[in-house]
Amino acid sequence: MDILIVILFAITLLYFSITERFRIYTNLVCFQGFLLFALALFELKALTIGNFLFVSSETLIFKGIAVPFLLYKIINKTGEERVHVKALPGLFSLIFVSIGLLLSIIIAYSLKTRLGNITYFIVSFFALYTGLFLITSHKKIFSHLIGFLVIENAVFLFSLTIGNEMPMLINIAILLDIFASILILGIFAMRLKQHTDDLTMLKDE
Amino acid sequence: MFLLLFFILSISIALSMVLHKNKTIVKAMTIIFGFMELALAIYCWLHVGETKLEYFTFDKLGVLLLSILSLLSFTTIYHGFIYVKDETPKRYAIYHSALVALIVAMSGAYLANGMIAVWIFVEATTLAVAALIYHDRTALSLEATWKYFFVCSIGIALAYIGIMFLGLTVNGNRILQLSFDSLSQTAIQANPLYLKIAFIFIFVGYSTKMGLFPMHTVTIDAHTVSPPPISAFISTTLMNVGFIAIFRVYTLFSSTVILTFMNNLLILSGILSLLIASGYMLKAKHNKRMLAYSSLENMGIVAIAIGVGGIGYYAAILHIVLHSLTKAGLFYQMGQSYKVMGTYQLDDSGNYLKLYPAGAIVLMLGLICITAIPPSGLFISEFLLLKAMVNNGNYFYLIITAILLCFVLYALTTRVMHILFSQPRNPEIVTTKSINPIQTISQYILFGIVIYICFNQPAVLVDFINGIVQGLPK
Repeated sequence: MDILIVILFAITLLYFSITERFRIYTNLVCFQGFLLFALALFELKALTIGNFLFVSSETLIFKGIAVPFLLYKIINKTGEERVHVKALPGLFSLIFVSIGLLLSIIIAYSLKTRLGNITYFIVSFFALYTGLFLITSHKKIFSHLIGFLVIENAVFLFSLTIGNEMPMLINIAILLDIFASILILGIFAMRLKQHTDDLTMLKDE
Repeated sequence: MFLLLFFILSISIALSMVLHKNKTIVKAMTIIFGFMELALAIYCWLHVGETKLEYFTFDKLGVLLLSILSLLSFTTIYHGFIYVKDETPKRYAIYHSALVALIVAMSGAYLANGMIAVWIFVEATTLAVAALIYHDRTALSLEATWKYFFVCSIGIALAYIGIMFLGLTVNGNRILQLSFDSLSQTAIQANPLYLKIAFIFIFVGYSTKMGLFPMHTVTIDAHTVSPPPISAFISTTLMNVGFIAIFRVYTLFSSTVILTFMNNLLILSGILSLLIASGYMLKAKHNKRMLAYSSLENMGIVAIAIGVGGIGYYAAILHIVLHSLTKAGLFYQMGQSYKVMGTYQLDDSGNYLKLYPAGAIVLMLGLICITAIPPSGLFISEFLLLKAMVNNGNYFYLIITAILLCFVLYALTTRVMHILFSQPRNPEIVTTKSINPIQTISQYILFGIVIYICFNQPAVLVDFINGIVQGLPK
């Protein structure tokens, strides 16, 4: 079952590469939040009440509900609905992202990993690649935000790959990351609405 | 207990500042915090080598950098008071609250004893400094804050993945409980491929903080728009946070077979940092941006020094210490020159010697110090770096480094000379404000220390640096 969820997660990443609408991006981020919640439930063997509350609040409430809500708010406020007009066409994006998937598989197998589940590793590496790809290939800040959130999801997936328990320090680290994400989304993205195309004021002449 | 008390009190001070919003109370609290930071440094000096609260250790590197932070906290707080004195009580309070939070986070990062503990404090510095970069509330500061925050968050996420890779070598979650010392024992038996991947991720991730190539750009932008006292912090103590995070991992892996790989990576990053810095400094039109590239150059020197090894390790630590003092002084002076000349634009700057002689002398001294011209203490560290290259037979790196340093010297000298002696190319923009020379004393003190160290390195400093580098390969 958990493999199926991870594969679904990988499919959402492929979908990121072909879609051009910000609302679909947001829906995909929301869906990934739910998938991560389900995965965490499968993976956390020593699931105490505290862990459950923490994991559910991080994945379900934060990644699955709060972040998409903020993203929708940004879309409505800025009126930006699509990626930049000069963005890489969907087909080429798909090719690049598929190459990323292939690379992730090669890397995972060449590492002869000691990981419990190699599929997790492949998909988390693939998510990292896709996040970085979204940031570098797109011009609008909204796409960069999505890229950042995908990277955050990659990190979460990676931490599930490493261990099936969640020590308190990891929880604190993730909490801090959530706080950073909220700050990025809630404050700056809203204030940056007049610069939704790109940020190019600071440069060397 | 003292450390716990320090963290609790500091966080309480930072929070209550935002609640009070009374300038006098905020000012008093900031001064009290400054003395608390000093007390922490003294406490650490008295307990060198001890581990506290499980996740903190007072090793020599941490204590040395904490001492620099403690010293620069006073000067930064002082120049901050001047910078924000006309602000509204709310913004005054937010500025100082964020400043206190930043100093606490940096202190924690220096003393943290474990991968995740360092990571948490590095992330906390990003949160705190974002509020400070955005202080002026201009479109430029918003852009710089956004870029800094965004790229640092990505960098920190990459570093986290690096830590997770390291976790693969030590049975997953044990990485989180292990101190740096115990990790070094485990690293020797680890799979080198995993260690290499971990190091690449951690290095690239934390280079956002250290301001090194390839993640240097956001730091440059942040410098350009931050209030000058904050630029002084970003360029010195905050870069030192990135340095300590990378250096601790380097030390951890230095007894493994990936040492050569790490050295090559550091040298490559250092030389590329130098190349970019020298190139951009030659076309710099913004005074603070020029100093920001100078920081990139100096971090490049530090990376090369570590990569070269041997006596280069000593040079790197000495360079970090002296660069912190010098660059902080220069950024404080940039803030004052802005008041006097009304601009950061190089073309609009000029005649500074006539406008504010005390500041002009500081700028001249700062130029001598930062370009490592004797009697600057940085001359010693750069000389040791070149000596290390000769000792190791790295003549190729030596030539490249020397050539690039010549470009930097030319760029900095011509621009500072223009500010000091030339007429502004666009004189009508210049608006003159007077500055009390007493406000410049802190810069004389900082440069005085840098020059003193050229002639006499105190035994305690030498002992500390030797203690830091003694575990590294000869």
